[in-house]
Amino acid sequence: MSKVQQRFPAGPDVEVDTLVAELSGEPAGGRLKVGDERVVDFLVKFARKLLAPATARRYPELASLGFFLRRGEIAKALSTMETRGDALRFPRGLVFHVPPANVDTIFVYSWALSALAGNPNVVRISSRSAGAAETVIEALNEALADAHPIIAETQRMVTYGRDDAVTAALSAACELRVIWGGDRSVAELRKHPLAPNARDLTFPDRASFAAISVAGWQAATAEQRRDAVIGFYNDSYWFDQAACSSPRTLFWVGDDAAARLGREEFRGLLGEVVASKNFVVEPAMAVQKRVSAYGVAAQGHATEIRFDGNAVATLELADPSAVPREWLGVGTFPQAALTSLAEFAGIVQRKDQTLSTFGFSRDELVDFANTVAGRGIDRIVPFGSALSFAAVWDGYDLLSEFSRLTTVSV
Amino acid sequence: MTAIVEGVFGLGQSEREAALLPALTELTEHHRAHCEPYDRILGSLGHARGADFGSVEQVPWLPVRMFKHHVLKSVPDDQVFKVLTSSGTTGAEVSRIYLDKEAAADQPRYLGRTLQAVLGEKRLPMLMVDTIGIIKNRRSFSARGAGVLGMANFGRKHVYALDEDDQPDVEAIKGFLAAHGDEPFLIFGFTFMVWQYLYEVAREHRLDLSNGILIHSGGWKKLIDRAVDNTEFRRRFAQDTGLTRIHNYYGMVEQLGTVFVEGPSGNSLYCPDFADVVIRDPETWAEQPVGVPGVIEVVSTVPRSYPGHALLTEDLGVVHGIDDGDWPGKRFSVLGRLPRAEARGCSDTFSGGAA
Repeated sequence: MSKVQQRFPAGPDVEVDTLVAELSGEPAGGRLKVGDERVVDFLVKFARKLLAPATARRYPELASLGFFLRRGEIAKALSTMETRGDALRFPRGLVFHVPPANVDTIFVYSWALSALAGNPNVVRISSRSAGAAETVIEALNEALADAHPIIAETQRMVTYGRDDAVTAALSAACELRVIWGGDRSVAELRKHPLAPNARDLTFPDRASFAAISVAGWQAATAEQRRDAVIGFYNDSYWFDQAACSSPRTLFWVGDDAAARLGREEFRGLLGEVVASKNFVVEPAMAVQKRVSAYGVAAQGHATEIRFDGNAVATLELADPSAVPREWLGVGTFPQAALTSLAEFAGIVQRKDQTLSTFGFSRDELVDFANTVAGRGIDRIVPFGSALSFAAVWDGYDLLSEFSRLTTVSV
Repeated sequence: MTAIVEGVFGLGQSEREAALLPALTELTEHHRAHCEPYDRILGSLGHARGADFGSVEQVPWLPVRMFKHHVLKSVPDDQVFKVLTSSGTTGAEVSRIYLDKEAAADQPRYLGRTLQAVLGEKRLPMLMVDTIGIIKNRRSFSARGAGVLGMANFGRKHVYALDEDDQPDVEAIKGFLAAHGDEPFLIFGFTFMVWQYLYEVAREHRLDLSNGILIHSGGWKKLIDRAVDNTEFRRRFAQDTGLTRIHNYYGMVEQLGTVFVEGPSGNSLYCPDFADVVIRDPETWAEQPVGVPGVIEVVSTVPRSYPGHALLTEDLGVVHGIDDGDWPGKRFSVLGRLPRAEARGCSDTFSGGAA
């Protein structure tokens, strides 16, 4: 039969059927509840390990995760689960998570929220996982030492090879299957049927953008501009600009002549920030950037390409509506001028996820969101927050997805 | 033979560049006029039409992988005579190289002239270090098969050193040597196969290859584990089989017809007169000084049906010297491949089959 390697809690390889049976039974300490204190305690202990200075220095993304799982943040998230009227909220049931291989932390967010909703969980950890993911698994296993035994009974992270039988068994057993990792993973996983009562929560390929208000840029102080560029740097250079929420094309919204001045200044500042961070582009990546940028030009979508060293490349788009949505290599920024956010609303597609912004008022952005009306762009965030995970993601309120409602209207 | 060598490996570096620059400039203009995507790329980079370039180094280059993602051809659709494809190192992606009739006829002529410099004009009996299966099965015609077929033209009375199960056919090799071993003969194969199937068999069976001329290509990656580099390869062949006339060569489907050939004393590749290499600094992309490794750009005046006259490869190399070796011009080595750029993205749980 088909065995899986048990990463958390660390243990001997186990048959998938045994794993499913263990997770389906009645736990000795009683079933988990929505917002179960035993889970909260465990997550808080785990978060402390991630925030340990040595770990946080080595993997800044784990520090972000640690902040997300502090007691106060957890309480805030759980407060959104309170119900009104006739509804009572309960855990959804066994959740099977399939995270991407190469974003090291997303599986933790997905799992932690589902555990907070009171579900038993199985997370498939890639055998290619490395670095931060390994550190996460170590921290989880350490935190288990003084956790309530129900954690080990109900929460599992496993690794297995290309074994369709395991995927099929877990798919058939779960109430909810959470598929990260893009279109191909979704298509691949959907070959395995779910039980009739179960469903998928999918996170397909997405594209993200940045927008600067020309007026907002003009009104900003030198220091605010520099901070904006540092935020933009973090948003785009972490994860090699390949995360679904990493901004790629940068739109300048407003007066065209002023936008040109702003773009030159922005480019200069970005070059300084990249230099100060000692960001190194490997030769293979530098070649990749040229292949991508030349490709956009070859298709007639870019009129001008500029390389400031290997780290910063900019492309002037011939037509903002023909915006590239594919990854072009780290530090590759198509740019276009728009007269208004309303013009951008006409370009937005369902695939589009995050808009990172600078210099707009909240009202302008709410107006924009109302114009798009959910046809795309699920998040509008300030520069520097593009990669910050939130309990509402890709338009889903995850805690709500991870739970179910029973109504009593007697 | 000397006259032919002078005809192909005859130009010193300054004469070579003086001859190449106007030809490459004309080719750049020709491709801009006939390949719109190419013209758009150069336009977006700020190169004016009809521009003069100060040196071969300044002729704009394309990354070789462009041919995997885009149709880049300088002939109209109805004149495409042949489309060559090659699998790269990345599996699914293949380059597509478009040839019209003229280009299809040109490529083997240039290749022939170049190889005749080391083989002489007479076609020699030829030992192919491969299996006949590689060219018999036309349906799964691979880059390896195309290479074998292309090379077969340079010899006669071909004998294949591997049987159809890819196992060394010792009797066939012995038969070939019995018939032709006391006169000059040609050996062709991919570097790792030559080592694994010919060298090891020849040593074990004490075969005499001293009249052979070996032409091989394909890189050293698979031999690194066995601690075999070019020097060791030549030393062991000479010591254990008597084979001393060994010529490695370097070329790619994206610049077919152009090969860079190892000189008689070994360990340096030379450029035919219609070609050159520029080793580029991967930070500044300027030309590296002699002795400093960088990314190899290959230039050639052969490609006329597609804009492949100046290509940045994904190989690392180094120029050892200029006008100071067996033949004039730059002499260089290939040091290995650039690692593939991989991003940490959200999207790939199942891609590449890895779990």
